[in-house]
Amino acid sequence: MEYVQAGHAVNLGTLSGVKGSAPPVAQNVTYERILKARAEPQNWLTYYGAYDGQRYSPLDQINTENVKRLTPAWVFQRGPIGLHAGQSTYSFEAAPIVVDGVMYVSGWDGWVWTIDARTGEELWAYHHEIPFDTSLCCGNVNRGVAVANGKVFVVTLNAHVLALDAVTGKPVWDKTYGDVRAGESATLAPLVVKNLVIVGSSGGEFGVRGHLDAFDLDTGRRAWRTYTVPKPGEPGSDTWPKDGQAWARGGANCWVTGTYDPELNLLYWGTGNPSPDFDGSVREGDNLYTDSVVAVDPDNGQIRWHYQYTPHDLWDYDSVMEHILFDLDGRKLLAHFDKNGYFFVLDRTNGQLVRVTPFGERITWGEISADGKVTPKVYPEKEGEPVHVWPGPAGAKEWTHAAYSPKTQMFYVPVQDVGAEITLRRREFKESIPYWGASVNVDTKDVQGFVKAFDAATGQERWRYRDDRPISASVLATGGDLVFVGEATGEFDAFNAQTGELLWQFQTGSGHHSSPTTYSIDGRQYIAVPTGWGAWVEGFAPDMFGAPRGDALFVFALPE
Amino acid sequence: MANRVELSGWVTALGLDRQNKGTLGRLVTLGGLGHAEVGADGRLHARVRIPPDELIWEPSVIVMPYGGDLELELVNDDQNTHCALLPSNGDLQWIWLPVYSRGTATLNLDGPGYYWYGSNIGNDEGRGLLGMIAVLGDVPQEARLDRPPQPRP
Repeated sequence: MEYVQAGHAVNLGTLSGVKGSAPPVAQNVTYERILKARAEPQNWLTYYGAYDGQRYSPLDQINTENVKRLTPAWVFQRGPIGLHAGQSTYSFEAAPIVVDGVMYVSGWDGWVWTIDARTGEELWAYHHEIPFDTSLCCGNVNRGVAVANGKVFVVTLNAHVLALDAVTGKPVWDKTYGDVRAGESATLAPLVVKNLVIVGSSGGEFGVRGHLDAFDLDTGRRAWRTYTVPKPGEPGSDTWPKDGQAWARGGANCWVTGTYDPELNLLYWGTGNPSPDFDGSVREGDNLYTDSVVAVDPDNGQIRWHYQYTPHDLWDYDSVMEHILFDLDGRKLLAHFDKNGYFFVLDRTNGQLVRVTPFGERITWGEISADGKVTPKVYPEKEGEPVHVWPGPAGAKEWTHAAYSPKTQMFYVPVQDVGAEITLRRREFKESIPYWGASVNVDTKDVQGFVKAFDAATGQERWRYRDDRPISASVLATGGDLVFVGEATGEFDAFNAQTGELLWQFQTGSGHHSSPTTYSIDGRQYIAVPTGWGAWVEGFAPDMFGAPRGDALFVFALPE
Repeated sequence: MANRVELSGWVTALGLDRQNKGTLGRLVTLGGLGHAEVGADGRLHARVRIPPDELIWEPSVIVMPYGGDLELELVNDDQNTHCALLPSNGDLQWIWLPVYSRGTATLNLDGPGYYWYGSNIGNDEGRGLLGMIAVLGDVPQEARLDRPPQPRP
């Protein structure tokens, strides 16, 4: 019998409503435009909205008076198809980028979409295949893209960085910058600075050596790589044991996007926990540059200065989250809300501590004095002997971001108040196998969350909103005196930025673990928020481990 | 508590390698293993087929010695219609496979690692029409960590 000719397989996207191309708006996105991103508030040009990491937009059409009329304009959904890595842990965590009416957003499992930001129509989709067996400490996630020079830049979970044509979605270049056999992966949104796209690696739970990499925007040629754990003989190597290979497995991964001061020409990049997370006996010393901010020269990758928030970490207190740049009384400062529960203000010209105050609700692991001296109090010390600490390994604040409003001069911080029991369980290192050195049991009872507002000048708390669950999503502040944030139970909230009064709430059906952004088209302001509960819920909100999953991008606006 | 026993004999004894005997469907990846081979065009080639009434891909594991392009031939020898949803960088690939049909697909996979594919209609996947493509090899030298070789499991 003659076989029927079934033909050649086609792109799945051709069997959908996807249009196939986007307007060429990204061609005109230059470094100079990103430098002045806040001067074009109709767009959200870079991960934090601007290089300063403030997550603030001056858009004010939606304000405290009319926000109660906010309603969905459109919803974008994808949903999983086939079997993919981390099937139970995928989560929609991105910060949507918007350029002149076109939205660029990444999802789980190698998905990138462009969407008509007015209508929600899908313009093109790109999908990068992620091996099913890729090591993922914290779920199948991606936190966003960068757009410049007619390209969309994204990292993949198998540690590639891609440049896609912004009109067609076709790859322009593709570079591998991590070793999946070592347990490396990649989840952050790239940062474009000058002619470079800068990315960091994930994998601190697998005993890798963290690094930042910079690639030429147009060619993909690697310009530099900077390791965040020094080799023997390099500056900082005296903070690791002289003998052995603790440094080679030391962690300090840069798994969240950094900020940038163009005047000082410095990147401010947070680093992750040391490895093994909880067993300090194999890595005596402060373990630089783990749990630090490193100020990096983008021209050559050199570390100019550093500040370590949790020396010799024994609690998994990464410091990867944002470093918000702000000026006060003529001083160039940066603000950082660390997993360890403390709010740090540093002089961003030299890394000197200006102020440190607690922002977490319960902090029992130790204490940091006003002059920055760290005194550990409760930590895993004896094999098999459990200790209980607040905050747990997800921190008083996770990677999700705070916001700063220059209008109110307040910081708005998502806070988790979740403790954990940690039991030291030493283990040998084996490449690609989780390397924690402990058994961890995060609390499911007696947990709560907050949005807290802090005065930038004094560090004092100005208002708080309490929730029965941890607040594990990024905050957005706007010129309409509003603060937006999502809850674990699916509500998307708007607060009065001055008072903390809850003004509006919309139930999206799935928990929030992403970064909302805002933009406008023809004078109409929109608020965009990906929803989709997942990732390492067992770490940051195990009381919500059974909560509904999802994968919807909601966009809200006032009625026309 | 179940004792750990060698799998192969028990799979047959319990009928887990046949449709509607032990369980309802057939355990996945029991349709053998095949190697993709370099063809005259210098590209990797492999072939899979769906045998009659078995609801499996044969072989159910395709091994690529390194990442790159794979030219795949798909043959449906079954008396029912199926399809294939296949992994590939850029977009998933999809082909309808009528009764007694033959088709082709071009896949691009990085590796190292493995990827699933299946017939994503009804519950073909659950009955056994899930296959695996395993890509061997290592990432490029320039992507690896600057550290001494480390112990592996």
